Amino acid sequence: MSLLVPCPTCGDRPFTEFAFGGELRDVSSPDTASDFARVYLRENTASAQEERWFHLLGCRRWVTVRRDTTANRFER
Amino acid sequence: MATLRLDGRRIEVQDGDTIGAAAFRAGVRTFSRSLKSHRRRGLYCGTGDCANCLVTVDGMPGARACVTEARDGMRVTRETGWPSADRDTLAIMDRMHWATPVGFYYKVFSRPRWLWPLAERVIRRATGTGTLPPTEHVTATPTRFLRVDTLVIGGGVAGLAAAAAATGRVAVAEGGSIGAAAIDPEARAAIDRLAVQARVAGVEILERHAAIGIYEGPSVPLLGPDELVEVEASRVIVATGAIEAHGVFPGNDLPGIWLGRGAARVAAAGVKIGDRAIVVANTDAGERIGAALRAAGAHVTVVTGRVLEARGRTQVSSVTVLTPQGRRAYACDALVLSLGWAPRDSLLRMSPDPEVVGAGEVVLPGCSLTAAEDSGRAAARGESVEARLAEPWPVLEHEGYVCVCEDVRVHDLEAAWEEGWTSSEILKRYTTATMGPCQAALCSRHLAAFTQEKGAVPGATGRTTARPPLRAPRLEELIGGVHEQAERRTALHERHHALGARMDHSGLWLRPGTYGEFREEIRAVRQRVSVMDVSTLGKFLVGGRDARALLDWTFPLDVASVAPGRARYLLALDEAGYVMDDGLLAALRDGTFFLTSTSGGADRMEAWLRNWIDRLDLHAHLVNQTAQLGAINVAGPHARDLLAALSGDDLSREAIPYPGHGEIEVAGVPCRALAVGFVGELSYELHHPRGRSVELWDALLDAGRRWDIRPHGLDALDVLRLEKGHVYLAQDTMPDDHPTKLGLDWAVAMRKPDFVGKRALERMAQLPLERSLVGLRFDGSPQRGHPLTVDGAIVGRITSCTESEAVGGSIGLGWVRAVDGVFPAQLRAGELTATVVPTPFYDPGGERLRA
Repeated sequence: MSLLVPCPTCGDRPFTEFAFGGELRDVSSPDTASDFARVYLRENTASAQEERWFHLLGCRRWVTVRRDTTANRFER
Repeated sequence: MATLRLDGRRIEVQDGDTIGAAAFRAGVRTFSRSLKSHRRRGLYCGTGDCANCLVTVDGMPGARACVTEARDGMRVTRETGWPSADRDTLAIMDRMHWATPVGFYYKVFSRPRWLWPLAERVIRRATGTGTLPPTEHVTATPTRFLRVDTLVIGGGVAGLAAAAAATGRVAVAEGGSIGAAAIDPEARAAIDRLAVQARVAGVEILERHAAIGIYEGPSVPLLGPDELVEVEASRVIVATGAIEAHGVFPGNDLPGIWLGRGAARVAAAGVKIGDRAIVVANTDAGERIGAALRAAGAHVTVVTGRVLEARGRTQVSSVTVLTPQGRRAYACDALVLSLGWAPRDSLLRMSPDPEVVGAGEVVLPGCSLTAAEDSGRAAARGESVEARLAEPWPVLEHEGYVCVCEDVRVHDLEAAWEEGWTSSEILKRYTTATMGPCQAALCSRHLAAFTQEKGAVPGATGRTTARPPLRAPRLEELIGGVHEQAERRTALHERHHALGARMDHSGLWLRPGTYGEFREEIRAVRQRVSVMDVSTLGKFLVGGRDARALLDWTFPLDVASVAPGRARYLLALDEAGYVMDDGLLAALRDGTFFLTSTSGGADRMEAWLRNWIDRLDLHAHLVNQTAQLGAINVAGPHARDLLAALSGDDLSREAIPYPGHGEIEVAGVPCRALAVGFVGELSYELHHPRGRSVELWDALLDAGRRWDIRPHGLDALDVLRLEKGHVYLAQDTMPDDHPTKLGLDWAVAMRKPDFVGKRALERMAQLPLERSLVGLRFDGSPQRGHPLTVDGAIVGRITSCTESEAVGGSIGLGWVRAVDGVFPAQLRAGELTATVVPTPFYDPGGERLRA
């Protein structure tokens, strides 16, 4: 039902206050050919991964956090 | 004397009675009829674990009579049986087991097909528990959030000991009242002592709060009498205790057969459960139970052994037990079972989290009070108590009801096994055993025992998965807060109402659709002057050393080309190069930037910009001024005249160029005037402090009377922008539109070294353009959404269309696919002809904007 996201400003808050920003990816690609993979192809890791969360209904800050996708737990 | 009505009959209620106790004292033995066979079912567990005594209380079905406190004036009805639970004509079903074999819903009533709707209706009437009240107004139960370090579920000896010993913020959730389930004085004393300790330690004790599941987190929803508490706990200690194991033997579901603790509990309330009670006990609880029954006036015989059979017609009248001395038959009117312990471990099995641990009887079934207390303290210290298997493992006689809720007999399991359903999970689904309202409280271990005995392959013999909710919550208990409709109003909301506007929902905003006659509003814009409340636009201030770098990266616009005092159309692309939003960028004279987004895109725009500030580690600040600023667009040939009547500031094109902006005062209100033109006339978007919107609006309407001013709403705007060929994002666009498809290449500075989406645009530029948004003229009035065809083949659709007075005729926008690499110049829209024309339709040179 609920999952607490660690926000550096607000502490642990329910995930419903956040917008999920997906896996952490590079901000740009060195060339056009590799850009497709950067934009469209996800790692879809079945373990800990770095991901982005935006505290929309809170401090409006983006955070990069590590979450285990199989256990659905954040590393703190 | 307090009384309640049971099926219309008035019965007496004594102090501290449950509904079950009061009804039993008044002679009620049959509390319900079973699901399939309509067999009589009486009080059995007495502890709220089974579903035999589900009754409707004051119109609300699903209350467990054995644990629901009786109150004066309550109206209680039994839920099953017609005409009554005592005399049920459908009891004939008990002689028709051939008609409802195991898995019968897969086998019978399937042919002829047309008969099924009828059969379904009959079956639905014959089964089920209770009828929901016809509620028109549902009052949502409030939801409360609770954050604790430790949540203890269960307020018995182990639970309270754990709570008292745990550190940090601690809460205890107890489904009933603390101590109500304790029968013997020793347990009662321990609970009283520990409850005091817990209270002194500052533990929050939530009585009548039942945990209905454990979700990830761990997070536990508690159903309280008038609230739903969502608990976020760092640790959960499950101390839900144990009940006596359900006994499976022929006649095991007869009224008059009880589980030990429940019987003792009812007896403790002063109810004599029978004149001659036989207690079959293989646990050390036999004498304690016997003593409780004797105290209530029953003649009790306690024996040890295996129950072979119980007989009786409307209730149990005799029992055969295989005692160590041999087979013995006893006449009785109450049979009390304490055959072994069954932990109430559903919650524990629901969560794989290491933060969820058990304490007390749920892990040590049948343990002593001291052991329960010790295990509670150990759990509080963070030690996990090794679960001891509940012994003995259930023994199934050749016949008897395994699942009382769903009428599943040993025979049914055998039949299903023969049919090839040879694992506990599959047997569960096929026979529906464990799937009734008690949610496997009684029979979960029996099903596992059956598969083990049958020799199922390893891995197929386990207990079936426990899932929330453990109890059926009412919908109103779950919807707390969900039904509230968020709504945003601009500062001018009351003004729009006063002017008779029809308010439309636009995202979360309420915006005027029209003030009466939208064609008149259009004429006011095109010929005279008009105002529109555009406070809903997303409004942002961007500053800091890297402000320009941020904007240059985030948007395809060449920010360097926007000189201070100027403004430009702004397109926002996502990383896939698709159009995400649009707005305006104004370069302020102090080096900061002001930008607007669409009304619905404001939150996304903020998140988008903040993401890039963060990812690129830029020294840039963003202030979301959407709620802080109001905005009124003043548009029409007399727009400048109107402002001049209210402002002493320079309004010339030197001071406020097109497209550009200036800081002016209008009717004493400081405004940032953006000279831009979504509607295609001379116009000024006046951004001002929201608190002064009303006075500005009033002044504009008052001074505008000279030009017969009229405000315009969304209906007029839709036509005005369409005459200019401007797209409405989402209405005219699709999620995968890059600027070329929309004819917006001019808004993209590909010469910039890099920006979000540039690589994607380069990649897509190598692909042929397969569709394009085009301007259309029609020889009639089509419907929006109408397909566009060439030689009968659909090649597109109309996304926007209107009758335009200003242009003269019927115009629109639409998607067109290339046919053999060529975009058609003429199409059909049903009976109409659609001709592709360049946009804008109105004032293509934009002279009116620059005026």
